[in-house]
Amino acid sequence: MSFFGFDTTLPRDRDRDPGPSRGVFENSDPFADIARATANADEDDDAIDFEDTYDGLGDQLDNDQDAFNDDTFGGGETKAVGRDFDFFGRTAQVSDAIGEEQVRYSLQHPQLAQAAPPAQAPGIPPQTATAQAAPPSNKRSGYEKYSDPGFIPDLQAKSSVWGTSQRKPEPVPAQASNRKMMSLEEVEAQMRRLAPQAGPMPALHSLPQPVSEPPYAHPPPQQLPDGFPPMPPELMAQLEKGVLPPHMQPPPPGVSELCGPGHPPPGVPLHLLQNANLPPPNMPPSGPQRQSGPPQGPPQGQRQQQMPPMARGPGNNGMPVVTNPQQLMHMTEDQRNAYLVEDAKRAKRNHKIFLLSKGNGLMTPQDKNFITRIQLQQLVAAAGNVTDSDLESVLTEDFYYQVYSQIRGAPRQHPHQPLGHFAQTYLLQTGARFGHGRRALQSADNHMQRMQQQVQRAVEAAKAKPKNKQLIIEGSLGKISFSNAKAPKAILNIKRPDSSEGAKPARKIQSDLSLSDRKSILTNLEAVYSALMSMEDMERTMPPPPEENDPEAIQEHMEWRQKVHTLNQKLWRSLKVMEPIVPNSTTPHPFIALLSCPKGKKAIPRIFRHIDQEQRVTILTMIVVHLDSLDVVRLAQSTPGEAQPSLAVREAIELFSLAVMPSLLGYVNEAPFNIIIGLLGLVIAQTHVQSVARTKVGLGILTMLLSRAEIVKEAGQAAERDWQQWVEKFNVLFDTLEPVLIEIFPGSINSGDDMYVWQFLAAVGIGASPEQQQRLVIAVKDRVMETVAYSKTLPADMSSQRLGNVNLFMRAIGLDVELLG
Amino acid sequence: MLFFSFFKTLTNQTVTIELKNDIRIRGILKSVDQYLNIKLDEVEVLDLDKYPHLSSVKNMFIRGSVVRYVMLPRSEVDVGLLEDATRREAANQAGKAR
Repeated sequence: MSFFGFDTTLPRDRDRDPGPSRGVFENSDPFADIARATANADEDDDAIDFEDTYDGLGDQLDNDQDAFNDDTFGGGETKAVGRDFDFFGRTAQVSDAIGEEQVRYSLQHPQLAQAAPPAQAPGIPPQTATAQAAPPSNKRSGYEKYSDPGFIPDLQAKSSVWGTSQRKPEPVPAQASNRKMMSLEEVEAQMRRLAPQAGPMPALHSLPQPVSEPPYAHPPPQQLPDGFPPMPPELMAQLEKGVLPPHMQPPPPGVSELCGPGHPPPGVPLHLLQNANLPPPNMPPSGPQRQSGPPQGPPQGQRQQQMPPMARGPGNNGMPVVTNPQQLMHMTEDQRNAYLVEDAKRAKRNHKIFLLSKGNGLMTPQDKNFITRIQLQQLVAAAGNVTDSDLESVLTEDFYYQVYSQIRGAPRQHPHQPLGHFAQTYLLQTGARFGHGRRALQSADNHMQRMQQQVQRAVEAAKAKPKNKQLIIEGSLGKISFSNAKAPKAILNIKRPDSSEGAKPARKIQSDLSLSDRKSILTNLEAVYSALMSMEDMERTMPPPPEENDPEAIQEHMEWRQKVHTLNQKLWRSLKVMEPIVPNSTTPHPFIALLSCPKGKKAIPRIFRHIDQEQRVTILTMIVVHLDSLDVVRLAQSTPGEAQPSLAVREAIELFSLAVMPSLLGYVNEAPFNIIIGLLGLVIAQTHVQSVARTKVGLGILTMLLSRAEIVKEAGQAAERDWQQWVEKFNVLFDTLEPVLIEIFPGSINSGDDMYVWQFLAAVGIGASPEQQQRLVIAVKDRVMETVAYSKTLPADMSSQRLGNVNLFMRAIGLDVELLG
Repeated sequence: MLFFSFFKTLTNQTVTIELKNDIRIRGILKSVDQYLNIKLDEVEVLDLDKYPHLSSVKNMFIRGSVVRYVMLPRSEVDVGLLEDATRREAANQAGKAR
């Protein structure tokens, strides 16, 4: 083949030697035809024989036959060769715009794009099928796919367009007799007619060279694809009349003067050709035409098949197709204005597209998909396993924040934000977006599938909490550590013992060795707390009260109660209240040891919520029995040298008063009278009352018991026998305490807090007999007088407070501070 | 997640952060993330004489790894709850290790 792609085979050889498919150059072009025509004209058959050509043929060459060489080769020696052949370069200039248009179209008309079959089907109307061979589809740069994000070339379709149709350029036999279709001979004749006319038209060559349309503007009918249905006569008539799409209009004899070789075909507006350096020169040929149909996606023959309306330019909105400036001149003012406005709009839009398209092609679709996949993976990793974000797991992971927010009403930043859902949503969105316009494209689907699969895998992996937290890529030096919000990257990698069997026995032995050492106390206390917390969890998950006729709910409730009971037993065991009391033991009872820790004291109110009355009285009894050995009593004994106990002890006492006493008081206030009697008896029998009474906690407990007894008596609930028993015990207590009554006051008079003492004295005074009351007054008279005197030196509010405390006692025995005044 | 959970409750409280390079910054805790990176607003640098270059800084993002101490408003910490949260965390960790 020749350099320019001209067909150098002779006509008679052509049928015999179809030759390989030649891609872009396969199509015949008028240049070749003319060259062929001239060759045919004088050399016809005798040019082949070697003998004939050998003998001085060069000398015999007729120089006047060179007259048309210029026409053939576009201007001869004096003119630059030009770049008409450079289909690739021209197309590449506008490939971005083509791609943009393509994308836009496919987005706007997804159903069309989806419906497009990969190769041409026999049922397609012939007119549209010929559009397949139309110029735009010939101008492949090979790079369109890079401007079309989803495009992957379909090799099969390509071969059907290029290869098979051109390999057998047989004339359509059935229609050959129908003279409305031009036969090969006709076309060649036309070419011959054309050639002499082209000669004397040098002026036309000053026009800018058209893009590459002219060679393809006259597809000879015999180049219809193989197996193409014969054209119906009426269509052929239309062809002749020029109603065909302008860009494939065959040159009717009348127009041939205008559209000789090197002249723009009527279908391509001049202004576009002249502005060939504008980005999208082969945008839709003309405004009205573009308006009438969907935007034209040039390179995709398959798409074009589906758009017959687009092929017939004129008429849809009543505006003529403007094919050249002259036509513009003939239009009415309105039409012209409308056309110009339309044109300006289009130019503006094209410019915009051009500006936007600067970054086109920087990333291939594969790149984009890759990035998207990475982003999705990050998303899923960040979300971790939040997919199962029920309340329980949120509480496990974020306990402090969640509970704190509930308690203090803090604003929640992301209340249970379902990140997993977010990932899901995102995935679905992209799925819709990609699948929308490009379902026809196999590999785009593949990408989506791969992405979906990857996300699924990632979600599952996150759910399964991946065992290996590191990835070592083969051949790389570093490791990649996986981490997410739930499992931050581990800095230290400590091997834990495979089973806990190794560690546990040792600990057990230790705890068995000494129940009283601090560590084991704390361990026991933690057991209490863990039992406590599981009980609180149970409380939260309490099923709703079952209805009568709902066996399932009843069953559920029963199971729940069973679990609660089990936990209660566990808590009770870990409290060690029932441990045997060892008399005269040097180590305190385990339960009392628990109470000696601050957090043991703090646990009491929570424990009391989860245990029944019997357990509460047991605890109270334990405390009363061991009142002596309670740290808050034992350490609080004011020694003669010191004004008050140490800070730590005072804090412990404060804590005990705040945490334990209210719980005990809460129980005592509901306790039956006989239990009160029994407790008072225990205090008297088991403890050293005189020393107990010197402490705040001891006095508090005594006050508690005495006041409860008084309330019971006032309410008249006390049986006579019980009351007698109580009075007996009370008398013993009074007699024991009487000598030390003055010592129960803390420190000197100005040390402040002595209210609890006055409360105790008041409780004693109410329950005491008149004789006992007198003894009481005598015992504390000095203190009363001192306090009254002292309060006069104090500021008004403090003074009234102190006097109020004293009055608490005075009123109990029927007196008042005012009387002392 | 305990510390993350804990610091989240302190948002919009004034905290003082001491960095490992001894700079102490007081400001309103705006947010914290799982790396304990911290965003501070209305920043005020203690010992500003020593760090004059920070005098115009109004808010900042502190990488969690450079923090030495965070001084908290005591009233905003529920110690009992924090203890329980710690127990839960320990139980979780033990559960994971097993």
